[in-house]
Amino acid sequence: MADPEGLFSANHGRLFRYFCRAVGGAETARDLTQEVFLRVSRTAIPVAADGDLRGWLFRIARNLALDHHRGRRRHPEPSALVDEPTRPPSQDVSLAVNEALRSLQPLDRDVFVMREVAGLGYDEIAAACELTPDAVRSRIHRTRLQLRDQLAAPIATFQTLATSSTGQTHGSIDQ
Amino acid sequence: MSTTHEVISALLDDQPFDRQQLADALNDPAGRALLIDLATLRRMVQPIEAVPDIRVADPVRRGPWRVLAAAAMLFLALGGGYLVGERRAVSSTAEAPAPTRVVEAVPFVPSGGM
Repeated sequence: MADPEGLFSANHGRLFRYFCRAVGGAETARDLTQEVFLRVSRTAIPVAADGDLRGWLFRIARNLALDHHRGRRRHPEPSALVDEPTRPPSQDVSLAVNEALRSLQPLDRDVFVMREVAGLGYDEIAAACELTPDAVRSRIHRTRLQLRDQLAAPIATFQTLATSSTGQTHGSIDQ
Repeated sequence: MSTTHEVISALLDDQPFDRQQLADALNDPAGRALLIDLATLRRMVQPIEAVPDIRVADPVRRGPWRVLAAAAMLFLALGGGYLVGERRAVSSTAEAPAPTRVVEAVPFVPSGGM
């Protein structure tokens, strides 16, 4: 049986980043990351390879994120950053990304965020979201195209910012 | 574009892809633009928040010092209970102490009569 603390310390960064984009807000992300650990420590961890365990861990995380969204629909809270007039451009981009992610279907959002933000592989995402790897692949690509359309202006802004700050476009496509 | 350029997503995700398909996609200006935009999108969606140092005490498995402390407490409680019981047993079987003052009991006789 895997050690819950080892499993958590190996994945808490990925979990936190996933929650940052899946639910928005560092404080909430931190709380939910801790909640994942509490749930894991109360459960028998399945005997499985690392990738499968990560999928299992993110299934717990995904359920928590869904619960959080249901709770927020029942008790909506105003966003603290919406009306702030002097935000830096990077924060504008981040808010636009959050808005675009919120507009997605929950499953599309989770698949996309698990891949792009948490860095999970297709098999791990498939385990977390109870999909096939093929379904994950096509869903990710479709979601990317949708976000590219929705975020055309912020993408252009981001490319301009990146070019002006370094003199060249940030080129790495690896995570 | 979504089907023909799926190979670009495969490239971004480090998945196996057909080299010829990728070459065709990148020969197309729209394919190149897509690659640049998707790479930009990947950078954009990274959270700006730094990963905090999250330490959570394991509520189920406690550290060894806690087990030792609990064992020591139990030992002290049992030992203390044994000693108290022993002392009481000794005191109950010992002889009564010698009296320091003897009061003789006499029948009560009313002074005024009936």
